[in-house]
Amino acid sequence: MDSLEYIDAYYGGELSAEETSQFEKRIQEDPTFADEVAYYLGARVAFKEANVEERKIRFRELYRQGAGREEKRQEGLRRGGVRLGGVRRMHSRKWLPYAAAAAILAIVALSWLLFLRPADPSRLADRYIRQNLTQLPTKMGRTNQLQSGITLYNSGRLAEALRQFEDLLRSDSLNPAAMLDAGIVTLRMENYDKALDYFKELQNYTDPRVNPALFYEALTLMRRGHPGDSDHARQLMKRIVQGDLSKKEDARELLGKM
Amino acid sequence: MRGSNSLQESDRQIIGLLRQKGLDKRKGEESLFNEYAYFIREGMRKHRLSEEEAFDAYSDSVLVAIGSISNETFKAESSLKSYLYKIFHNKCVDLFRKNSTNKNSVNRAQSINDELFRLTDKSRSILQTLIEKADWKVLKERVAQIGDDCRKMLLLWADSYSDKEIAVVLEYKTANVVKTSRLRCLAKLRELYHAV
Repeated sequence: MDSLEYIDAYYGGELSAEETSQFEKRIQEDPTFADEVAYYLGARVAFKEANVEERKIRFRELYRQGAGREEKRQEGLRRGGVRLGGVRRMHSRKWLPYAAAAAILAIVALSWLLFLRPADPSRLADRYIRQNLTQLPTKMGRTNQLQSGITLYNSGRLAEALRQFEDLLRSDSLNPAAMLDAGIVTLRMENYDKALDYFKELQNYTDPRVNPALFYEALTLMRRGHPGDSDHARQLMKRIVQGDLSKKEDARELLGKM
Repeated sequence: MRGSNSLQESDRQIIGLLRQKGLDKRKGEESLFNEYAYFIREGMRKHRLSEEEAFDAYSDSVLVAIGSISNETFKAESSLKSYLYKIFHNKCVDLFRKNSTNKNSVNRAQSINDELFRLTDKSRSILQTLIEKADWKVLKERVAQIGDDCRKMLLLWADSYSDKEIAVVLEYKTANVVKTSRLRCLAKLRELYHAV
């Protein structure tokens, strides 16, 4: 029986008491199997979260529709009020639209200054790197050498981490995870040309819808900031968004700020 | 015994729908949300929350209520309105005190615990460590990329639908066909997750 099928049978209550205790024993004795069970449960939790998100989107739409109806009702009441309540009230509040317009203008100007003014791509990339790449996630079911490289990276020992990833690449030159991690470390070490080499090479492997190499190439270009780099980065980000490729949401966010 | 006597007819209808599957359940969810959506304004007024915060507190409360009505832990000892309002009030107070800054991770930890409850402490601890190390951002990205058919099927699976029920909702021939396809989808997701 395939392990996913076996795990599914356990969670479906299809195993006998003896098989159930064997299942637990395997979790404790066989790390690969424990990884498989963790993946199965993780996937279930991820879909549960997706269920919650989908429901919230539906609720938001319902609320928006309801709020729209309420607004129209209030609008109707206000109009009725003017007809019945007389003109004086209108006059006393004549200044309101001007005040509102002035306030909106002030908010727009302030928002532009604070949030919408195009940011320097290199700083933007630096901020992204600090927010998203100071810790590398560990994945269920990865090799030990990769794992120890990630542990070194996460504790800030970048040069040692790079050595681990490069050692791994020497024994398995097509290992995409090691190539990605080596690219990220060199980016963090500000060795942009080398990082670009890794990310470009990585683009030759796996489907671009799951391979984030193009995004990291764009990010490295933004961070490097040579003449023409930011235009090139912008084009790559657009390609990611339009092609629905990996890291589309992050690319969209960065594009919006550039 | 008070039990379901404290329920109004509209409550009974909503509860009845929420204990169904597929479109009926969806209708029940939307009816429950609409019925008491005015709580959002109350949250804004009484607890001084922004509209967005009050909306979040209300939709989270509706989701909790849906869960307990569907799995029958809601015993109908009070009206739906009182029950929902109690949950909503607590969520608003938490928000007001800024106690729920990392709501996602709290909800996820709860979700993981729910999945692990039947295991012994030793196995639970091993799995918990492994699951917490997962790259959730990537996993969630892959969930979005897995393709419509797989996605629909696995969403229902995560929502505790049996294979037989999934077969009815998604019009598959038999529960066995659903099971085979579902496991194939899980294997596909695993492959996507491990790919760079």
